[in-house]
Amino acid sequence: MGGLGRVIERWLQIVETALLVALLAAMIGFAAFQIIARNAFGAGLGWADGLVQVALLWVTMVGASAAAGADRHIKIDIVPRFAGPRTRTLAARFTALATAILCAALGWTSIEFIRWDFIDGTMGFGAVPAWVCESIIPLAAGVMAARYLARAVWPADPSAGKRDGLAADQKDSAPS
Amino acid sequence: MIWAGVVLVVLMAVLGAPLFAVVLGAAMLGFLAVGVDLSVVAINIYDMTDKPLLVALPFFTLAGYLMAAAKSSERLMALTRALFGWMPAGLAIVGFVACALFTALTGASGVTIVALGALLLPMLKSSGYTERYSLGLVTTSGSLGLLIVPSVPLILYGIVAQQMGVGESFSIGELFIAGLGPALLMVLLLSLWTMLRVGDVPRTAFDRCALWAAVKAARWELPLPFVVLGGIYSGYFAISEAAAITVVYVLIVEVVLYREIKLAELPGIFRESMVMVGSIILILGVALAFTNFLVDAEVPQRLFTFMQEHVTSPLTFLILLNLLLLALGAILDVFAAIVIMVPLLLPVAVGYGIHPIHLGIVFLANLQIGYFTPPIGMNLFIASYRFDRPMLELYAACLPFMGVLLIALVVITYVPWLSLWFL
Repeated sequence: MGGLGRVIERWLQIVETALLVALLAAMIGFAAFQIIARNAFGAGLGWADGLVQVALLWVTMVGASAAAGADRHIKIDIVPRFAGPRTRTLAARFTALATAILCAALGWTSIEFIRWDFIDGTMGFGAVPAWVCESIIPLAAGVMAARYLARAVWPADPSAGKRDGLAADQKDSAPS
Repeated sequence: MIWAGVVLVVLMAVLGAPLFAVVLGAAMLGFLAVGVDLSVVAINIYDMTDKPLLVALPFFTLAGYLMAAAKSSERLMALTRALFGWMPAGLAIVGFVACALFTALTGASGVTIVALGALLLPMLKSSGYTERYSLGLVTTSGSLGLLIVPSVPLILYGIVAQQMGVGESFSIGELFIAGLGPALLMVLLLSLWTMLRVGDVPRTAFDRCALWAAVKAARWELPLPFVVLGGIYSGYFAISEAAAITVVYVLIVEVVLYREIKLAELPGIFRESMVMVGSIILILGVALAFTNFLVDAEVPQRLFTFMQEHVTSPLTFLILLNLLLLALGAILDVFAAIVIMVPLLLPVAVGYGIHPIHLGIVFLANLQIGYFTPPIGMNLFIASYRFDRPMLELYAACLPFMGVLLIALVVITYVPWLSLWFL
């Protein structure tokens, strides 16, 4: 990947981490507050449950986008696991390109649905319109499409595929 | 045109494309074929904001990641060792129980093998267990505990099954109870087999002081099961609320009381856990869209009619189901298997008079074994990478454990009572 690509990728990761921490903290905070409020005062905030659920959608999309950046999406890699390095690179290019096209299609078609909610003035939660809540779908889908497109053009080092992705990151987070 | 697309999607799946993209491709093709606007996929993804139960997934997953990052695994080992270490084959039983509990909390994503396995393996070997047995134990036990509350795969099965709305309705709380008997049976059979097989391994004497020390060390984590279970079964909290309480509790315990996780480490742990949650829920979202297409196209009904022509007895159906799921478990991740296969299999199973709860337990019991089924069960790769052993050695080490668990699976499948006794 080019130098500019790497800079963009680094900034994307920072933004994603910040978003994930903020969203998750908000989810935990409001969910806990609702429980206390319901049990202690008999009623919680009317919009807080909606906020938590929309935050879940955002966490999902941002988390999925981060997973695309780290190439950690769940996959069945039977053929690549037992194939030679050249086949593996070829398979990686093909699957990344196809994934990029599908992500772009998801983002593009979601705009239609968001446009209708915008025109109708549909509400998401509280005073927040639905289109704002939904906007993360095309945003994250777009970032994923760009990332997979980059991977189709510059596939990762084929020898890296030998290592199991999951085991590799758990090693980092495990107590040592 | 559509068929060319189908070929491409199959090719993507085989060549290792992300599963969400495979399912997304399948759903889009389906909707294209029947002339439905493709924005329906995004609508289905957005509809997930209508499922309060889903909020439990990020909370329980984060709690598991936090515990994996702290020294909970060491405390759990010390405690189970003080409790069971004096029994014949005690250390092996310690391994089964500790792994099962840790997997229930962290999911069968490999954390158990990495965190507990590294502690257990040297301990087992120095206590006189053979290398092969010890390797087999840590590799297979990495997925033991899928059936124990509050395992995320159980919750996910509940969400997907309830969404289908076929068969008798049930609550996640009932699903949790249903998993306990089968999980206990697995641990029991494994322990009995170990006692018969290894027999003469030196035991440690029961030490009251050691037990007390272990209890004291784990004093903040010990109330956790009661926080989770008490909240759910007292009726005070919904599952998602119990999950929120759990994550708040674990945060306070590991960050403030034990001080084993620094504040600066939290963003990284948050990110890691949400990468996992994001990839699971995105698959769920596109799978919901795909399921809607399947139901529209009456695929489950056709599948059932087809099955009825060839398979008449529920027993034969269950045998076929086991074979299918074992094969699937070896290639598919447990979450992907649930969101993709349950919508297809549940209506068929209900048609044969199988209770949705029983199907869920059978489903997960199979997938649990699939995790270490040669040649490509995920636990095998993780153990091979972590303990630096060749795959063939792990195949051999896991086979006897697999045999024992298959016996448990047969019992679980053909004795529905074990999962449904409380209904």
